[in-house]
Amino acid sequence: MVPQLNTDNMKIKGHEVDFKYIAKVVISIGAGTGFGLIVYVIFLYLNIAIFGWNLGLIFAPLGAGYVETVVANRLLGRNLGAISAFILFIDTTFYSFILKNPTLGMNLITAGSIIIILQAAFPTLVNYILLVIIGALISNLSWAAKKVIAILKKIRSNVRWETPSAEPPVETELYYDENKSNERLNSLNFFFLTSTDMKDRRHELLGIFQSEVIIENKVKIQLKNDEIEKKRLYNIKEGKDECIIQLANRIKAAGGNGILDLHIQYGLIGMGGDCIHITATGMGIDIIL
Amino acid sequence: MILTSSNTLENKEIIEYKGLVTGESLIGSNIYKDIFSGVRDVVGGRTTKYEEELEKARDIAFESMKEKAESLGANAIIGLKISYDNLGGTMGNTILVTAYGTAIKYG
Repeated sequence: MVPQLNTDNMKIKGHEVDFKYIAKVVISIGAGTGFGLIVYVIFLYLNIAIFGWNLGLIFAPLGAGYVETVVANRLLGRNLGAISAFILFIDTTFYSFILKNPTLGMNLITAGSIIIILQAAFPTLVNYILLVIIGALISNLSWAAKKVIAILKKIRSNVRWETPSAEPPVETELYYDENKSNERLNSLNFFFLTSTDMKDRRHELLGIFQSEVIIENKVKIQLKNDEIEKKRLYNIKEGKDECIIQLANRIKAAGGNGILDLHIQYGLIGMGGDCIHITATGMGIDIIL
Repeated sequence: MILTSSNTLENKEIIEYKGLVTGESLIGSNIYKDIFSGVRDVVGGRTTKYEEELEKARDIAFESMKEKAESLGANAIIGLKISYDNLGGTMGNTILVTAYGTAIKYG
């Protein structure tokens, strides 16, 4: 036997309106709306918010819909589709976005929040739009984009491009001139010695000197990592030059003209080793020429 | 080109100190290499691929250093220092190889 829906309480008999039924509907929606407003006021009072966005905007319609459903089930034996949640949505949106905070613009958080509220009020409709309609739109658009790209590729293959002029390629910033660096370091009128003494040369010891340079060390998982490594090595070489020059300048400022037992060290510092620490240390000396 | 980590050259006189010469190279964080090397570690074999890469990196650093010394007119490098530093990378396998020393001219 097919179950029949009992519509005795719902129908409008002839032209007569069932006021008792309507009253129960109003009470259910009113209870839900009232509860939702209380929830919203509590959230506003306690300022329960994330990024300035009050969570009452989500929980008030949810609470309203829940209370309305419970009351409607008791009074009418069925739910009304969370009408109070929709009323709350309009109320809270008007209050929060227009009345209270007219400067709150349409951004990703606002859009996402509105979608969540709408989903709470109209779950089936919103889920249908999100999953079916938007899914279908994306699918169709990607298909159309593929077609357009294929046409453009075809057109491009038929177009004759002018032969490029034979200009020399422009040097990229990744190019590190080793010779230039070598000349730069050794034209400072300064003796850089990695050995611990300078035989047959009289010199005065000035003490230990040190210089430091910190450079960025971006560590990423890269499938094409050649450029990343090139850039990293370039930064290291630049940093090393700077560190050595800085050290020489410090010794010069102290009246020296050379360094003994020069050490250059590299190490990782920072959170997750995101920086490279370059240090140059040695004994500053004043060589009597 | 003589390379030595000592301060002097035995039986040779240092005529002139030419300057500091450096060479650097980097073993990249190649994801495929890392994965296969990891597999080798698990099965207990030696990671010969890395040994080869380290050798290659050291040679590059040495060559760069020697070229610089030659360009300064030196014929030896004394006080040679080599260091290997781990710079993290995909699986902690990015290694910086540095070599530096004092370029000299001996007679």
